[in-house]
Amino acid sequence: MKKSLKLIAIAASLTLITGVAVAPSAQAAKIKLCLALDTGGVDDRSFNQGAWAGAQASAGFADAEYLAAASSADFAPNIKAFVDKKCQLIIGVGFAISSEIVKSAKANPKIAYAVVDDAGADCDANFNCKPVKNVKGLTFQTDEAAFLAGYLSAGMTKTGKVATYGGAPYPSVTIFMDGYVRGVDYYNKVKGKKVSVLGWNTTSKTGSFVGNFSDQNAALTLSKGFEQQGADIILPVGGSLGAPYAAANEKTKKALTIWVDTDGYGLLPAGKSTLLTTVVKEIGASIKSVAKDVADKKFTGASYVGTLKNKGVSLAPYHDLSSRVPGQLKLEVRKIRDQIIAGTLKI
Amino acid sequence: MKNLISRIGQSIKLPGLSFLMAFTITGIIIALSDEKVMNKIGSPIEFLKSAGASVGNAYLALFQGSIYDNRLAKSNFIEGFYPFFETIVTATPLILTGLSVALAFKSGLFNIGAQGQFIFGAIGASYVGFHFNLPIGIHIFAAAVAGMFLAAIWGGIVGFLKARTGAHEVILTIMLNYIAGYFILWLLKTKTFLRPGRIDPIAPEVAESARLPLLAGENFRIHAGIFIALAAALFVWWLLTKTTIGYKFRAVGANSQAARTAGISVPFVITATMMICGALAGLGGAVHVLGSEHALNADVAGSLGFDAITVALLGRAQPLGTVFAALLFGALHTGGRMMQSNTGVPLDIVVVTQGLIVLFIAAPVFVRYIFRLKKLNASAALTSKGWNG
Repeated sequence: MKKSLKLIAIAASLTLITGVAVAPSAQAAKIKLCLALDTGGVDDRSFNQGAWAGAQASAGFADAEYLAAASSADFAPNIKAFVDKKCQLIIGVGFAISSEIVKSAKANPKIAYAVVDDAGADCDANFNCKPVKNVKGLTFQTDEAAFLAGYLSAGMTKTGKVATYGGAPYPSVTIFMDGYVRGVDYYNKVKGKKVSVLGWNTTSKTGSFVGNFSDQNAALTLSKGFEQQGADIILPVGGSLGAPYAAANEKTKKALTIWVDTDGYGLLPAGKSTLLTTVVKEIGASIKSVAKDVADKKFTGASYVGTLKNKGVSLAPYHDLSSRVPGQLKLEVRKIRDQIIAGTLKI
Repeated sequence: MKNLISRIGQSIKLPGLSFLMAFTITGIIIALSDEKVMNKIGSPIEFLKSAGASVGNAYLALFQGSIYDNRLAKSNFIEGFYPFFETIVTATPLILTGLSVALAFKSGLFNIGAQGQFIFGAIGASYVGFHFNLPIGIHIFAAAVAGMFLAAIWGGIVGFLKARTGAHEVILTIMLNYIAGYFILWLLKTKTFLRPGRIDPIAPEVAESARLPLLAGENFRIHAGIFIALAAALFVWWLLTKTTIGYKFRAVGANSQAARTAGISVPFVITATMMICGALAGLGGAVHVLGSEHALNADVAGSLGFDAITVALLGRAQPLGTVFAALLFGALHTGGRMMQSNTGVPLDIVVVTQGLIVLFIAAPVFVRYIFRLKKLNASAALTSKGWNG
């Protein structure tokens, strides 16, 4: 008994000494960062994976953990589990989880919340919304980067047809498709061409959707359908939905793929040789920045909006296909990017 | 008395052993997929120690996440039961869909269509729930009945087509599941069902008056749906054992030719069974929407309709067995959450466990062979017969 007391005393004094020694340069204690993921799993090679990578990159000031959702019925209990585990920052990954995040945030005003892809406002049945103090919305002007991808595609297509489709008609998905179509339209206007986009109509807001973010077979069928209709560049917007087509396409080389969210090059198991580029949405960076804010006690509910200007969205390098993209087109894409950043080109 | 105990012992022996084997194999998988454990493969004792710790922690988390967690009991011990309440919330719709599949088994039918029937139940309940203003009590009743009615028709179509044309119910139900799945996607795009201000597939929340009352206050999600589910189990038991029509169901299930010779109308039994099965699964959808979800979305059914098949198999198509099997699945699902966040064991492992349990249940000969058990229990034959009804 005495011996153990002695040990405890030694241990305690050791902690004291090291604690004091480190104190001047010491960081604040690490915060507990908890990610409530959308369906699709942590290794979806896209959305959830990007978010989790951002949380892991915050290791310097946050201990991160996540919960994956098997269906939307898991959202509320997953968030509740985090509240019970005393997480200091709970981030809902995905538009669909937003209303559950808001509910939990109102019940726990002392916890910091953030939600990816939604403003995180509290809306009533008639869609009158007001912001919630402890919820930070992380949204992205992905249409800016998708606009570049649209322009690029229009310049690259040989058949005069390109295509896009989404997982489900969430605003965070359709914004990609809007930007993409407008980019193609802009190319048509500037060059006097008639490149058409299958799969999305910006005025009627209707188009092709898989219906979820997990049915890769349905996505493959859609991709093949567009291929048969003559599209030679396809932009699937929705996690890893496009993966099987990208892989199948490696052999047939019928169409080029544009990936979304996280640079697909090196991430996709197959399909590098037909991957034109990626419309990158820096979810990870936004998560890291809000985690840092909480760790530094600077958290506010003010929204974060990722743009080309603040590098929250971007167009990834062309990688293997760089030699096939004409130099002139590359220059034009870069010029348009600068114009969007400068605000001289309204998309 | 002694006889009863030995009978209960008989009937839980097989599921119990299947259980044990599934958890053993899952334990091995957990240990082998843990990097910290595999790093110690050099020294056998250290390896076994850390493997034991890894598996022990995972199963402890599974228990804490599904039954009782003392860390949650701050002001009183009831709060520690939060995980158990969550287990019940998850199990409630599963009990009802499981009963739907179990009842079909009894009539020799393989109802793969609980998913579609569930969706129609959810649609009916949601519509009545958000569109009408009715007094409390009546509103819940009307919403649940609307869901059951739609789902009974959806199930009845299968029964009618099988009875009239001899089309196989497995094909029919699978195809109708697809139709239901895409129907709800379309429906949620229409003006009537789309929530104002949204373009993603989600319906308005059901009115307060249509929500099932909460049983343990605002902080817990447990709702009166569990009583509905238990009542439904009682109803199925009563129907099968105490009524003439239930006797006919079982007679057709045991041998449809003999039943026909004995003067039972097989087409009637098939249609009636499928309608009741539809209503049960539909009630599951209604309870899910009115109890815990409150709003209809495209993903509302998750995999509940398919898990129902497993639950019914595990419950050996008995009402009480189905209730316990659903509770087990609910516990595995909610406990899996804690396992995932505390120990980093992915939720997929839980699905593996579920799969293994069913694998062993469905292969009684294999389990009997391993444990050198003698007699084949009569009802085990029923659940493994399946496909040709």
